Amino acid sequence: MSSSPDPVFLHDAPGPGWFGPWGGRFAPETLVANLEELEAAWHDFRSDPAAREEWDAVLRDFAGRPTPLFPARRLGAELGVELWLKREDLLHTGAHKLNNALGQALIARRMGKTRILAETGAGQHGVATATACALLGLECVVYMGAVDAARQAPNVERMELLGARIELVEDGQTTLKDAVNAALRAWVGDPEAHYLLGSALGPHPFPTIVAGLQEVIGREARAQVLDQAGALPDLAVACVGGGSNAIGLFRGFLDDPVELVGVEAGGTGTSPGLHAARFSGEGGAPGVLHGCHTRVLQDAAGQVLPTHSISAGLDYPAVGPEHAELARTGRARYVAAGDDEALDAFLRLTRTEGILPALESSHALAWVLRERTAGRLADGLRIVVNLSGRGDKDLHTVLARLRRGEEES
Amino acid sequence: MSRFASGLRGLAPFVMAGDGGLDLLPDLLHGLEAEGVAAVEVGLPFGDPIADGPELQAAAARALAAGADLDGVLARVAAYRAAGGGLPLALMSYLNPLLRPGFAAACRAARDAGCDALVIPDAPLDAAPSLTTTAAEAGLGVVGFVAPTTPPSRAAAVTLASTAFVYVVGRVGVTGAATRLDGDLDALLAAVRSAARVPVALGFGLRDASTVAAALERADLAIVGSALVQHVHHAAEAGGDRVASARSFVRSLLAPTRR
Repeated sequence: MSSSPDPVFLHDAPGPGWFGPWGGRFAPETLVANLEELEAAWHDFRSDPAAREEWDAVLRDFAGRPTPLFPARRLGAELGVELWLKREDLLHTGAHKLNNALGQALIARRMGKTRILAETGAGQHGVATATACALLGLECVVYMGAVDAARQAPNVERMELLGARIELVEDGQTTLKDAVNAALRAWVGDPEAHYLLGSALGPHPFPTIVAGLQEVIGREARAQVLDQAGALPDLAVACVGGGSNAIGLFRGFLDDPVELVGVEAGGTGTSPGLHAARFSGEGGAPGVLHGCHTRVLQDAAGQVLPTHSISAGLDYPAVGPEHAELARTGRARYVAAGDDEALDAFLRLTRTEGILPALESSHALAWVLRERTAGRLADGLRIVVNLSGRGDKDLHTVLARLRRGEEES
Repeated sequence: MSRFASGLRGLAPFVMAGDGGLDLLPDLLHGLEAEGVAAVEVGLPFGDPIADGPELQAAAARALAAGADLDGVLARVAAYRAAGGGLPLALMSYLNPLLRPGFAAACRAARDAGCDALVIPDAPLDAAPSLTTTAAEAGLGVVGFVAPTTPPSRAAAVTLASTAFVYVVGRVGVTGAATRLDGDLDALLAAVRSAARVPVALGFGLRDASTVAAALERADLAIVGSALVQHVHHAAEAGGDRVASARSFVRSLLAPTRR
């Protein structure tokens, strides 16, 4: 399979919504008017000082921004590096997802929308959306794969308590990809609603909007590391499912001499079906899924491959188009960490720093642990890791794995 | 000259290639031609069809399980042509499977097999810089969609860019559920027809003889997909012959317009 984009995606001068040959608006015609309306609303939101003020106030007073940049001294000392954690796990509802959910919900209200549709994998985006809808008095419907709902049961209960209606999706692998399919179909039939897409992917303008709402992470992290460490980091590391927390962090450092590393879910192996590594695993190739041209895990006939990760939030076969471009240009590199490595990193951070990271974020940390242990990262490097969410939602998964490990040993 | 020429009128059934096995596709196409349909949309199955309702999702899953892919579908289209089949054929595919061999190569292969046009439900004609020019260079007509939500200026542009037919989506929503042919739709169809130099098709939710008849009063082509796919699937599950049940269903759809 070719790893280069098809010539039909090459432009002389890529317009809005394109990241080089990646991105675009590959949506059914019924949605095109909606997407154009949303693009206009986004520009309006960005340029209206009153909207910015309301957005900043909600982030500060409701969500709890800025989130701290924490020096993980004990783990850093064990590793022999200077480790900084961007504490998105301390954001209200427990993950970076709220930045995007609040921003899009405010935009939707400005557009006069009263009903919000959303998909969720790990449940973090669903909880964030249900929370934003409760805050703003909007109706909320969340599409969630049945497998994900089972493995993230506490988040299902939280969403329901917040007043959201959960639509369980029984198609396909019944995980995030199928939830996105279902939410897109629901939106095709209900264009009066706003589809509050949770990651920096999908048809234009979603990748631009979501990255624009998440770049507060990188902006804060850059100012904080300069203030607290007195210098830029050598590396900025984030996990990459769809890639919204990663693009949020990376955008703070794009113009700096900072190495950007995105960590995908390596699952249990590199063969198709065992991972969700669009860049480094078998089956990753340029393709179009869920409205954008990007890297997609697929077979030789162009059918989307099943994925696996211990972390529901990374268990997705495509990646945000801006990441595909950062990889193509070499500005960022994309690597993978496996289920077991993520679990080890989860436990290591819990025991050394008293922080339970989400299994998603544990992948970013796991890559640092592995590379440092293998001697591929130099002594004393200054590393910012985006701790994109907290791990309370994963206790069930982690404890089940630990019990299984004890039984096997 | 394109088989989708101005003046083409009638029923345009959609079939999911591979549903029930790929090998019956040539017979199915010959059978539909014998019933007097005007054209056929041949669907290449995709596992993540975001514009389709449950009937066509299920049909795509069955077709994929039966091993349908681009090469296999095009080989059966070529067999139909080799046996003298003359219907205008539009290949309906989501974009991704067409990218695997390279979009230009897929277009050439489709044209060489005997397809006349390409219908891509997740790629509006302006979605990629050279989508339509690449198809045109391969000798394939392209099909733009106009939906009830499409603004008039965009509808006009889509209509002019469509070189095989214009596909008017009769209803807001995915394929399958019933359509109401109301005044708003009449106005949309009238606007598209007045600007179109190619046939205008109406689809999404046409399920029976009366909706087909009403559609043909308003458009050149009436596309019936989910209802036909579902009818044939149920007939096959009850032990019936797929080609025979497709023919009898199409005959029933066309009966009132032939009286």
